[in-house]
Amino acid sequence: MSDPEAYSVEACLARIERWQPRINAFVSVGENPLNPAKGPLAGLPLAHKDMFYRAGQVSNCGSKIRKGWVAAETATVLERLDAAGALQLGTLSMAEFAYGPTGHNEHWGDCRNPWNPDYITGGSSSGSGAAVAAGLVVAALGSDTGGSVRIPAAACGVTGVKTTWGRVSRAGAMPLSHSLDTVGPLARSAEDCARILQVIAGFDPKDPISSREPVGSYAATKKSLDLKISVSTSWIERNADPEVAAAVLAAAKFFRAAEVEAPDFDTLSAHCVTVMGAEAAAQHARWMRERLDDYSSAVRVRLEAGYAVPAAAYLEVLRARGAWLESFCAGALAGADLYLLPAMTCRVPTREQTGPKGGAAMPGLLGEVTRLTRWVNYLGVPALVLPCGFDSRGLPIGLQLVARPFAESTLLAAGRAFQRATDWHQRAPADAPS
Amino acid sequence: MRPWSSEAVETVLAAQGIRLAPGRAAKLAAGLEAAIVADALRDALPFESDPSGYALAVERCKRK
Repeated sequence: MSDPEAYSVEACLARIERWQPRINAFVSVGENPLNPAKGPLAGLPLAHKDMFYRAGQVSNCGSKIRKGWVAAETATVLERLDAAGALQLGTLSMAEFAYGPTGHNEHWGDCRNPWNPDYITGGSSSGSGAAVAAGLVVAALGSDTGGSVRIPAAACGVTGVKTTWGRVSRAGAMPLSHSLDTVGPLARSAEDCARILQVIAGFDPKDPISSREPVGSYAATKKSLDLKISVSTSWIERNADPEVAAAVLAAAKFFRAAEVEAPDFDTLSAHCVTVMGAEAAAQHARWMRERLDDYSSAVRVRLEAGYAVPAAAYLEVLRARGAWLESFCAGALAGADLYLLPAMTCRVPTREQTGPKGGAAMPGLLGEVTRLTRWVNYLGVPALVLPCGFDSRGLPIGLQLVARPFAESTLLAAGRAFQRATDWHQRAPADAPS
Repeated sequence: MRPWSSEAVETVLAAQGIRLAPGRAAKLAAGLEAAIVADALRDALPFESDPSGYALAVERCKRK
């Protein structure tokens, strides 16, 4: 659990002032520091990706198009955090319209990794990962449509939850792809993620896909853990960077994971791209016709591709979604509660490798960054990313656990067990609280 | 199926009012080709299945 003294509002604001020039994690600071509500998160300093609306305040969504746009309503997740007594110290950097996996942003400046500013934070919840890693806040909300909570969590060495589709309300959050969009927390530990998720999870009549599935307790229990975990060792050895594979397979050993055949990540990932492309293109159609030049070239290119997805191909992929979910649960999860794999197959890349000057290798590298996250969004299942080591350059390595629908409590229990036995999550960049 | 061509991409986007930057169509066509993947599971779906079946699959897959 985070140390209340190290995370007083004053201490956080002082750290934000020191770190902001180095990492550009915040878009705005200090708009809602007071909250008289007494609740389970009373006085907890948070900040959120700049796409969760608050009535009367600006949500820029990482874009030029929405620069200075003032929201009329407050997002359900923010209302729930407010009622629980949490503080919002500001809004956080993000990829333009949450449509990019690296943390680059040509309108607002790149967000930079607190472990080494030459490296990416991951995206699209770039500021959320960076702010938590640098200890600027206890936790932050992010959104995850193809990996946007998990990639920054992995690259910045923090813990992040991609929730089951429909578990957390998206009302008042900027949409990207309605069949895939989810909201989830990033924090230093699974314990702190559980505290946030407990408050924001649950049915919301304002979100049409919100689930009525009861929310259990995400708190730690004294019951003994008897988790069964599966892994595909040979796939990881064949496809992941050797340093990533070694760290992730050491974690698999801790969990005594059983061997299973790997899901068809690449087919599922391609399906995710089809759905995301078509839905994002539809969401942005008016601006793509009227304000094309106000998009960065990277986001414009991603959106353009969606207009060429045939309607029948999009629907065919959605038609197969249920069958693929059942195949995953009857295959990799047949005898297990959780499936274990890396968050990314590659080590954290540099900003230059993955930016406009990345050259011919750049698209392939971006493919490795997202190769193991998008398939989870297509299935709609929950996942947890947490640090499991550091590479030879001192950058974090992320472990990913994937569960059945609505099994967030199982994920968090496994995360707690791992973090009780290891200290990867307590390591912090110099000048950040551990 | 015939592969995507630059001309086809330009036509499809122009019909929707989306203006492409010069030279973009060829790259986009290549990207679209990469997104077309074989999927035996999809091809074996019963005729009656539709996207709403996903909600039933979620119910079946939850841990009881």
